[in-house]
Amino acid sequence: MIKQKFIYNHNLASLEIEGLPDFSNGQTEGIIGILSSWKLTLIGSTELEGKKEHLQALITQVLPYARKQISGISTRKVNNLLPVNISNYGDKHLMSLSSSREGVQPLDLYLDDAELSDLVFCLDEIRHDSRILIDWDIPLDKPMTKGELVRNSSILERTMPFFTGAIALIVTSGLLVILPMPTNIEGIVPKQDFSSNN
Amino acid sequence: MNEPSSDFHNETGFDSSLQEQSTKLSLSPKGHIGRKGLERLDLLLVVIEALDLNSSDAMLWTAKQIGFEETFPNSVSLWKVRSHNPLRKAHRRGNLSSMDIDALIHLVCSLSKRLYPLLHQLLSSKEPSELSRERWLKFDERFKDLIKERMNTRRVAIQNILTSNESMTFNRNLVLTLALSSGLGGFDRLRASLLDPSN
Repeated sequence: MIKQKFIYNHNLASLEIEGLPDFSNGQTEGIIGILSSWKLTLIGSTELEGKKEHLQALITQVLPYARKQISGISTRKVNNLLPVNISNYGDKHLMSLSSSREGVQPLDLYLDDAELSDLVFCLDEIRHDSRILIDWDIPLDKPMTKGELVRNSSILERTMPFFTGAIALIVTSGLLVILPMPTNIEGIVPKQDFSSNN
Repeated sequence: MNEPSSDFHNETGFDSSLQEQSTKLSLSPKGHIGRKGLERLDLLLVVIEALDLNSSDAMLWTAKQIGFEETFPNSVSLWKVRSHNPLRKAHRRGNLSSMDIDALIHLVCSLSKRLYPLLHQLLSSKEPSELSRERWLKFDERFKDLIKERMNTRRVAIQNILTSNESMTFNRNLVLTLALSSGLGGFDRLRASLLDPSN
């Protein structure tokens, strides 16, 4: 049978992928080049399924989110138009899934750290599986920019260096103003005005 | 219909992919990990030691399995590399080569994959709360003992780990980092985070 089905299990997460080889690109049997369906089961939670676009959205949202978690950057929900959104929610991770079907309410899943790492493990396996020749278009893991790290810090942390500097400047200037200027310094001979001799 | 079992990425498959990745990445000396990055990398190894009593043997065995036998032939060579952590009592000066750093990151990722069930237990909210609390207390106690034994306790960063109210959050972040570094993409994620400008 040409249709392929791969299953990735890791503790609480199980991801099932079905598809066909893309013969027009010279792919052979045992390869998935065209994804027909997928199913994600999170034990104790719910079962999700969808098309390639939904799985791609899941991968492109969850993996960069995991990268940010390692750097300690918290993420807030920003884009309601995306089919998958993941953000920090207290000590959990809120994954919001919007269905492309009309009349279906968005689904909110609250994952704990263990469930998130299980899901990331499964998605990593799909991404690195040499039998799946699909371009997921996932951004490379790169170091965070200074801006991203600054945005994550609190207002107090961001403004602390400015206020510390300003206070230090004011105190130093105040002390210098209070100190009396020396009127006569021994050993210094006043300059002679040679122009008046002529 | 081809339906592979859950462990189709067995130890051998995982290790060979690591070796390929290592050869690719270690040849590119683009990244220099800063002082905080080295501290973090060594602390991740201390977390592994706190979780696994036989970790010193496991580290050497894992290094051999993933093809870093020449980099870490014995525990002294591993200790020498780890001693570049400025927070250690016996701190070595100088920069680590990018190959040594990559080898350490690979070691952390492989060991965290091996210890994943323990990491999962600690991070799961579905475990009984009393049991989970006990596990964390035990881990915290052992982690702090190792920190006192090896690190310079006069350093503020170490004092914060030992006494601060936020030390539990810090420890949890280290455990989560290990869990998220255990998969096939874990190396790239961890390496990128260690190259952050804050490090």
